[in-house]
Amino acid sequence: MMKAVVGFITGIVFVGIAGWNMADVMMLREIQSPYGVEETAARIQRNIQSLSANGWTLSGLRNPAKAIAKSGSNVPPVLLVEACSTKYSGPILGEDKTRILSILMPCTITVYKKDDGKTYIGLMNAGLMGKMFGVGDIMAQVAKDQVIFTTFDPKKPAPPLIKIKPGGGGAGGKSADGC
Amino acid sequence: MAERIYIFKRFERFWHWSQALLIIFMMLTGFEVHGVYSLFGFQAATELHTIAAWTLVSLWVFAIFWHFTTGEWKQYIPTMEKVDQMLKFYLTGIFTDAPHPFKQTTVRKHNPLQRLAYLFVLAIINPLIWTTGWFYLFYGSWGNWGFGWLSLEWVAFFHVIAAFMMLIFFIAHIYLATAGHTVTSHIKAMITGWEEVED
Amino acid sequence: MLKFNYKGLSLAMAFVMSLGISWSVQASDAKAPDKVPTPSAAADVFGIAVDEKVKKSTADHSKFKELQVDFKDGPAVTKACISCHTEASKQLHKTKHWNWDYINADTKQHLGKKNVINNFCTSVPSNYKFCTACHIGYGWEDDKFDFTAEEKVDCLVCHDTTGGYKKLPGLAGHPNYKTMEWPPHSGKFRPPTDLKRVAQSVGKTSRATCGACHFRGGGGDAVKHGDLDSTLTNPDRHLDIHMDAKGLDFSCAKCHTSDSHEVAGSRYEPTAVDDKGTLIRGSKDERNAATCVACHGNVPHSGEFAKMNEHTDKLACQTCHIPAYARGDKHTKMTWDWSTLGEMDEQGKPKKIWGSEGKVLYDSKKGNFTYDRYVIPEYQWFNGDVEFTLADTKVDPTKVLKINSFKGSPDDGKSRIWPTKVFRGKQMFDKGNNTLVITSLSDDPKTALWKNFDINKAVEYGMQYAGRDFSGDVGWIETEMSWPITHMVAPKEDVVDCHQCHTENGRLAGIEGIYIPGANNTPLIDKLGFLAAFLTLVGVLIHGAIRYFMHKRGG
Repeated sequence: MMKAVVGFITGIVFVGIAGWNMADVMMLREIQSPYGVEETAARIQRNIQSLSANGWTLSGLRNPAKAIAKSGSNVPPVLLVEACSTKYSGPILGEDKTRILSILMPCTITVYKKDDGKTYIGLMNAGLMGKMFGVGDIMAQVAKDQVIFTTFDPKKPAPPLIKIKPGGGGAGGKSADGC
Repeated sequence: MAERIYIFKRFERFWHWSQALLIIFMMLTGFEVHGVYSLFGFQAATELHTIAAWTLVSLWVFAIFWHFTTGEWKQYIPTMEKVDQMLKFYLTGIFTDAPHPFKQTTVRKHNPLQRLAYLFVLAIINPLIWTTGWFYLFYGSWGNWGFGWLSLEWVAFFHVIAAFMMLIFFIAHIYLATAGHTVTSHIKAMITGWEEVED
Repeated sequence: MLKFNYKGLSLAMAFVMSLGISWSVQASDAKAPDKVPTPSAAADVFGIAVDEKVKKSTADHSKFKELQVDFKDGPAVTKACISCHTEASKQLHKTKHWNWDYINADTKQHLGKKNVINNFCTSVPSNYKFCTACHIGYGWEDDKFDFTAEEKVDCLVCHDTTGGYKKLPGLAGHPNYKTMEWPPHSGKFRPPTDLKRVAQSVGKTSRATCGACHFRGGGGDAVKHGDLDSTLTNPDRHLDIHMDAKGLDFSCAKCHTSDSHEVAGSRYEPTAVDDKGTLIRGSKDERNAATCVACHGNVPHSGEFAKMNEHTDKLACQTCHIPAYARGDKHTKMTWDWSTLGEMDEQGKPKKIWGSEGKVLYDSKKGNFTYDRYVIPEYQWFNGDVEFTLADTKVDPTKVLKINSFKGSPDDGKSRIWPTKVFRGKQMFDKGNNTLVITSLSDDPKTALWKNFDINKAVEYGMQYAGRDFSGDVGWIETEMSWPITHMVAPKEDVVDCHQCHTENGRLAGIEGIYIPGANNTPLIDKLGFLAAFLTLVGVLIHGAIRYFMHKRGG
């Protein structure tokens, strides 16, 4: 019976700890943005463009909330900023072993609002992902670039949002087919 | 040499275990409703807590009926003097004799310690938890019942206090269930109905 | 078998007719470049109107000789209207829509658009030509307007069904009768308003006609209210379950019923609580008809949602049923800081800076703005009493000034927790006299702020115009205004989830006088309770351990 008591309490504690840590355990990262959804997305777009030396181009901007609204339900704003870099995707797509990772392309950064009214940025944990799938070197680079994507300079004015259809070419990018 | 006596009848055992499950479940959901942790989600927790409450109410209706028709209710309401004696006995005896658990002498269902505990449950925890729970369930009718002056905060306050007392009772109860003739004899009795007692 | 189906035929004919009319009008509509609010929406609105005309109205206004005239201006149309609708103007003369003047019976405050000061464009006097683009009259260009003139009532702005009628700021409530560049300096030209066509197509009010002003409160689409913007002209189900164009398709007037042109529902005297149940048709009850309760009653939830009825003693319906405002893809203005106005570009010209969402963040004429969409409301106790800071109210510049403070408390028995949009601003005030000010913004070429960029001159003239004392010293004061959120009612599956309030730091965190299970847990009792439980556990474990060892030794 003692076991039951201990089990009951451990159960509660475990569930609590698991819930608390879930976000870290998973391969996704969430950071809060000081700007609104549109401005955050636009600033990320600018940051992506600033790394064109690494092959980055914008390949799309999606607004999934709009489609859901059309079907009759409410969801807070979400914008998916899609970017890709042939420099990184080339080697991954060149290998049979890793070609399946194309499922994660283009690289998507999501910007959304939560019920607390604040704006958040969701990113893939590129470093961890890379290690898991044996492309650690490339993904470590992506992870580095991701940091730049989400580092904002408040002194710069809010740039306009670049509305490109998904699958379209990056604005001024080298790889017009958007990977 | 141990003797076996039939203590818990079939309905009683069913009542005990289903009530046990319901109370555990109500503690689990109840403390979530109180905001201690998040398990089922608030909405599900309240709904489950309410369903469990009504199940327990119907179980109690049967149990009360059973106790009165069978006369078993007498097992729960000891006479005052007996309670006095047993209180004294167990309040002192338990300390001195704890290293050597006292022999189970009664052929009655419940030993004096249990009676004491159940008295506490019946006289304090239950009235408190049921009254406040009932008010909680019928929050919208307070005005019609003439209880418009009540505040949810106080109802919730006493409900939570009762819940903590129930949790404490639950811990102690589980422990004392091991305090029979052997560690498992009480538990076995609650399952099979037969209790091993010392000669 | 060959029974002639009259019903079917007439329906078919009606359909063909409506197609025909709708086609012909659309063809002529196509010539008008500026429609309200979008070409497709206008066509839809008109489609509905034509439909109603064929099916419902007993009068086809295009057949009236009085309307088969080339009208020279709006008042000429009104003269034609009131030659049949003889009492219409007299009715309208009694309304807030006409007078912009209103005395709150409870607070005795002198309100109405021409009297109040807000923290958007602040005040009407000295800016009539501009502001009265949203007046239901013609020619209110200064404080000498004749409020008894029947022909000056504008019938068309509310009863237009074509979308081809638009009153532009600066014309004192008239539509343009000549070709006019609009917006100014845009290079786009608006042809003269086809008054004949508009007059012949009059019909019931619609979301588009009410919205022409009410969606654009604060000077533009979505600016002021947050729960009213042009996305409600043709809303989807998700945006407003009642106004859903493909569903219930309520017009504004479905809730905002009118009697003798007096429309139910007022922001000056709102109904925060209605506990009297449904308002039955024909009832002599003079309650506000534009409430949820008027239709849904006081016990609107049943079955699995019955517990929700037990929330209505504390919460307004809107609190759960409008999870966020500005949900229709339009950004609503959240803040307005006038104090930064007047900054010019390198050439010394007025400038505008746009933000990522395509809205103006800075305008030399007006200062800085911020916007948001899908905004979680701020919640406050509200009993329907609103106290305004008026032109003669003394203000305390060291504090944030609540221009309209919502009264209410958990204990007065007549308040509910309401969702509100709180609009925050910083605006001009009279530093010497500690009052808000009237500012000349648009009309007077010599003093208007938007022409001269001189705030001192603008305030001085505004105050002089309004006949108010002015110390000569303009300062900036932080202000707040609250707007009750009551439109954009979500479908029931999108209501605010339980856990959004029933959690620590939930939506209602900080609202006093309310116990929310799961949100306000009692920390002391929790600590003591769990401590006691833990000690019991430790106690029995020790007890058990002693038993175990004693038994072992003994055994």
